[in-house]
Amino acid sequence: MRLPEVGMATSRLTPSGQSGGSAEDRASALTGSPGPAAERASATTSFDAIVVGAGPAGTSAALGLAQAGAKVLLLERGEYPGAKNMFGGMMAYCPAPEQLVPDFWKRAPWERAVTRRVLSITSKGSTTSLMFQAASGSDRPAVGAGSTSDQSLTGFTLFRPHFDRWYAEQAVAEGVTLLSGCRVEGLVLRKGAVRGVQVAGIGDIVEAPLVIVCDGTLSLLAKEAGLHKGFKAEQVALGVRALYALTEEEIDERFGLVGREGATQEFLGCTEGVRGGGFVYTQTDALSVGLVFHLDSLKQRGIPPYELLERFVASGPVAPMLRGARMVEYSAHLLPEAGMRMVPRLSMAGLLVAGDAAGFCYTNGLTQEGMNLAMTSGLIAAKTGAEALAAGDFSAGRLGRYKEELKETFVLRDLATYGRAIDFLHHDRLFTLYPQVISALMEDLYRSDGTPKQRIMRLARRATKGRVPARRMLADLLEAGRGYL
Amino acid sequence: MIPDELFDLVSYRIHPEAHIKLDQEICKGCEHRACTFSCPARCYIWSEERSQVDFAYEACLECGTCLLVCDRDALDWHYPHGGYGVRFRLT
Repeated sequence: MRLPEVGMATSRLTPSGQSGGSAEDRASALTGSPGPAAERASATTSFDAIVVGAGPAGTSAALGLAQAGAKVLLLERGEYPGAKNMFGGMMAYCPAPEQLVPDFWKRAPWERAVTRRVLSITSKGSTTSLMFQAASGSDRPAVGAGSTSDQSLTGFTLFRPHFDRWYAEQAVAEGVTLLSGCRVEGLVLRKGAVRGVQVAGIGDIVEAPLVIVCDGTLSLLAKEAGLHKGFKAEQVALGVRALYALTEEEIDERFGLVGREGATQEFLGCTEGVRGGGFVYTQTDALSVGLVFHLDSLKQRGIPPYELLERFVASGPVAPMLRGARMVEYSAHLLPEAGMRMVPRLSMAGLLVAGDAAGFCYTNGLTQEGMNLAMTSGLIAAKTGAEALAAGDFSAGRLGRYKEELKETFVLRDLATYGRAIDFLHHDRLFTLYPQVISALMEDLYRSDGTPKQRIMRLARRATKGRVPARRMLADLLEAGRGYL
Repeated sequence: MIPDELFDLVSYRIHPEAHIKLDQEICKGCEHRACTFSCPARCYIWSEERSQVDFAYEACLECGTCLLVCDRDALDWHYPHGGYGVRFRLT
């Protein structure tokens, strides 16, 4: 398990900067203090566009703009790109980064290509799972990405500090000026248009006709611009995660994997009444284990998230996977969870919003997607931005094309397709009552105790009795049908 | 896994100045004190002795949970200065 020393790792990133940059500039950008480098960047270089946040959305936007010939400043508040970024562990595949970096999926630092997905419903007495297993390696038709042996149907597990940093390096190689350790504390607004950003600490203003904000779930800059009123607890989820080191062989063995194949497992019914779920994702030589909760539900139930995590890792279905594993890191983050309901206005004069900051992240209960939406929205923002630069027109009308273009992609279409499913997942019953019903039914179904067997409908009636009224369940089934079918 | 062991695994570069400030006067009137059990880094602890919320910004994971569970607008909330705060290594 390679846990990099932070101080060492940062030296991999250097600001590009057409100015050449003195040793002092480079040193300050490396150590994360926005000193002379930022001042120089604003004083001597004029930028066509400023992108805030070097996550998957921001770096995609910066790359796309640079490739269209724009001078781009990419500002990252972390000591290095990825320092502040956290997710469950699997990125759903999407073609957007391949349009920006040739052979992207062959070169990007991902860990495993996911070929096995398991959904488990747990209760005290039992666990019931649905397992999907894609045909192995070269037997599988060419779908997704990567070389023949690395193809994934659904996505890749990866580490954000590695992945995001590598991706930002690709942007730097295309001429993007990256400044890490630069926190943007506000926008420069003039005559109803965004004209630049204020960098914290140095109190400096950097101007550009186009600003793309990709500052994450809290979306503070879009809020400042008046594009939304601030997200609410009922619109977001809190993810907590522990990383456990094992050997590659142990993981292959425990999950039945070959080569770089990976597995994911999600759990329902493991959150003690809080709306949410658990997950275990296989990295190459580590397991990402965590829980995600609707924040309003967590607040209401009043159980600390790390206590729920502690009990989850010790639970029947999870503990055996972690036998002998060493815990190496802990992290937490908020994620958008309200679908279209929380998507802010996506543009105004001089400004575009992409990634989590635009609410582009969701789960429909079966798949969890965010990074693919972030990269695709970043790519579309770059396209809209490049057209605006070519036309010298940064008006609200021109930049409004961003949303129109997004409507043609899976980003806004999936959020619309699963709109009802996303709402459906806000019922408390799904996370305690129904897992209990399913477990009771399955336990009865498999029980062999010398008494006569009964038909499934009768067993189902027994499993639901006293738990949920038939009418209620019928209504929920109908709602689920409308959401998914 | 006890929470302390969990928190010890996080790497930080700590700025001498707190990036989140509490208005204790407002906190005193709070009935749910959701920050004390929702924060994933246990930065907020209710002190019976002082009858106030003790806050340690140093362990903050910068997730924003406290900002969204507080319904009394008691927090002056910012991300840490550029280059400071939590630094995830693998996660």
